[in-house]
Amino acid sequence: MTGVDRGVTGRQPQAVRSALAVLEEVARAGAGVNAKEVAEALGLPPATTYRLLNLLVAEEYLVRLPDLHGFALGAKVAGLVGTAPPARVPTAARQVLAELRGGVRAGVHLVLVSGAAVRCADVDPDLPLAAPALVETHLHASAVGHLVLAEAGDWRDVVHHPDRLPALTPATPTRSVELEACLARVHAVGWAGQVGQLHEGVGCLAVPVRAPDGQLVGAVAVSSGRGEVPVASLDAARDCAARLGPLLG
Amino acid sequence: MTIEELPARSPVAGLRRRGLSMVEVLAQSVSALAPSAAVVAVPPFVMVQAGAATLPVLVVGSALVALVGWCLTAFARRMAAVGGVYSFTAKGLGPGGALLAGWALVVGYAGIAVSALVGTVAYAISFTVPFTGARPPGWVAALLAVAVGLVATLTTVRGIRLSARVALALEVVSLGVVVVVLGVLLAAHDGSTGTGAAVVDGPVTAGGVATGLVLAVAAFMGFESAATLGVEARRPLVAVPRAVFWTPVVTGVLFVAAGLAQVVLLRAAPVEVLTGDVPVAQLADADGLGVLPRLLDVGIALSFFACVTGSVNALARVLFSMSREGVLPAALGRTHPRFATPSVALAFVLPVVVAVPAVALAGGARARDVLAGSLTLSALGYVLAYVLAAAAMPLFLRRIGELTRPALVGGAVAAALSAAVLVVAVAGASWSGSGAVVVVFVLAWLPGPVLWLVLRRRAPDVLARVGVYDQATASSVLPGQGVRR
Repeated sequence: MTGVDRGVTGRQPQAVRSALAVLEEVARAGAGVNAKEVAEALGLPPATTYRLLNLLVAEEYLVRLPDLHGFALGAKVAGLVGTAPPARVPTAARQVLAELRGGVRAGVHLVLVSGAAVRCADVDPDLPLAAPALVETHLHASAVGHLVLAEAGDWRDVVHHPDRLPALTPATPTRSVELEACLARVHAVGWAGQVGQLHEGVGCLAVPVRAPDGQLVGAVAVSSGRGEVPVASLDAARDCAARLGPLLG
Repeated sequence: MTIEELPARSPVAGLRRRGLSMVEVLAQSVSALAPSAAVVAVPPFVMVQAGAATLPVLVVGSALVALVGWCLTAFARRMAAVGGVYSFTAKGLGPGGALLAGWALVVGYAGIAVSALVGTVAYAISFTVPFTGARPPGWVAALLAVAVGLVATLTTVRGIRLSARVALALEVVSLGVVVVVLGVLLAAHDGSTGTGAAVVDGPVTAGGVATGLVLAVAAFMGFESAATLGVEARRPLVAVPRAVFWTPVVTGVLFVAAGLAQVVLLRAAPVEVLTGDVPVAQLADADGLGVLPRLLDVGIALSFFACVTGSVNALARVLFSMSREGVLPAALGRTHPRFATPSVALAFVLPVVVAVPAVALAGGARARDVLAGSLTLSALGYVLAYVLAAAAMPLFLRRIGELTRPALVGGAVAAALSAAVLVVAVAGASWSGSGAVVVVFVLAWLPGPVLWLVLRRRAPDVLARVGVYDQATASSVLPGQGVRR
């Protein structure tokens, strides 16, 4: 099966150029542009254009809209831009975080969320996260990640290999049943907590920061090395998240 | 619909999304087609009808099915459906054509599931006869059918992953056995001719060729069933078109090769072998191949069993799709909380599929008759669905402004040729030779047109929803992009 029916190979530079041109044209013309319009704008033969559009849709760089003739850029394009948006946190938000840091005896971090992209924007300087990159990439194993996955319509669309979730510790939820149980808890209580899923002995809770329109824009995470979810800080973290919402959203 | 109005949830949510690999999607088509059973069982039937024209008929039949498969890829590259050919047809011919095709497909899948179940039982019994020495009574066969049905229920509700992998493995093993048996027989062949030559090199008549073509096309039934995995496939717009096109192409090559081998072998055999139940197994028995004929029985029984699960999987998903649209009761659209399979639809379908052959076998009907009858029934359903889907393809492409000349010509030729095959099949010149099957088919298919007429008067809004698929949702497009003005 492999090796055949591969529309484009590395030996066809013109096809790659044309595919990129099609992608650019959809971005330029805007969501809803149809195949004929793309072909005319680029001067490509219609049959070639249709094939390239179908390839780009199959790879999810483009999306066919429900009328089946309009195209839009797919969510995957965000991956080309880099999943990390510039992490500028407003000064007013930093002050709110500083107040929380003064009030609890655990690490307080601000994580910015945009769709499925997660960025540790302000890590506690005194009690830092052991590995911010792990939080940003392993959504199934962190409290913040659980918030993001619970927010998505279907978590399988968000994680990279839904059937091969890597185990970072023995406690990491690697089976979909386990992860779904975690997400169900998030839905029930409105915040996420985990112990030892990312690092052994480290517990963390995450409270959603929502823009005034309800969209998830970030999370306040409280981490503790005492091997339990730092629930004592929950109310303070919730209060902090409520104040951050209008500042970030 | 503008980009701001995209729904947050797909209309076919609830199935396990994006889980099946390319191989598992392919396995669905392969298991529903049951190639090893088809390449062994069908060529002798074709020989009896087409005589000296057997090989050209096999080639033309394979090419026609591959052409229909190519037509279906035009849909499969553009939409990830659960209803398969039913949902595709809706996008080209509208809800009326979709219900006619969809219910024909339901009859087709149900018919093939029944005949594969009977096939499993028949070959399993054929395997045990040399050990027990006697043919078991009808009630034993009926009990066996119920047991096979229970196993099929377990594997299909448990999830398509397991059933697809098991099915593909079984199919590969049984195809291997078939190739070995045919190879050994050819190697032992001494180039002599027997009384079978009178049939194999027999006269070519127009009616015989047409009927042979119907049989050759019927051998491929189920190849399109991967199209029901649009939601569950990991990369549906890549995997489904590949499976739908390459399954008939590769099977076609095997089919013609096996046909050629059987033409050579049966020319040398007595005519009674050619017209018997299982010519290849009888040849192997006559050649004293020892354990190989028994292996062939097991292989083909397994292939038939894989076909039961494959057809039932596809059938349940078509009903699931109809239920999500509101055409059928909402209960059929429920999915299993843990396995994320259309469990209610499966639970509704399987008792019917098991009860029909179990009652018939317990009543003393011959397995061969039940098999031939249900096979004819399903052939009528499939070919009708293929005609409508092939005709829908150019209309669909024209509607979305992507019609090309090859697509127009291909769709028209596929629809016209399939329609001709359907006419010949209905004309009753088919192998079963009885008009009763046609009557049963029309009765079984009647709910399709009736649903359409009733819904058109009572609930036009339901009809407007026909053809749901895994459409773009708000989370699948890049947020904040420009909109065409």
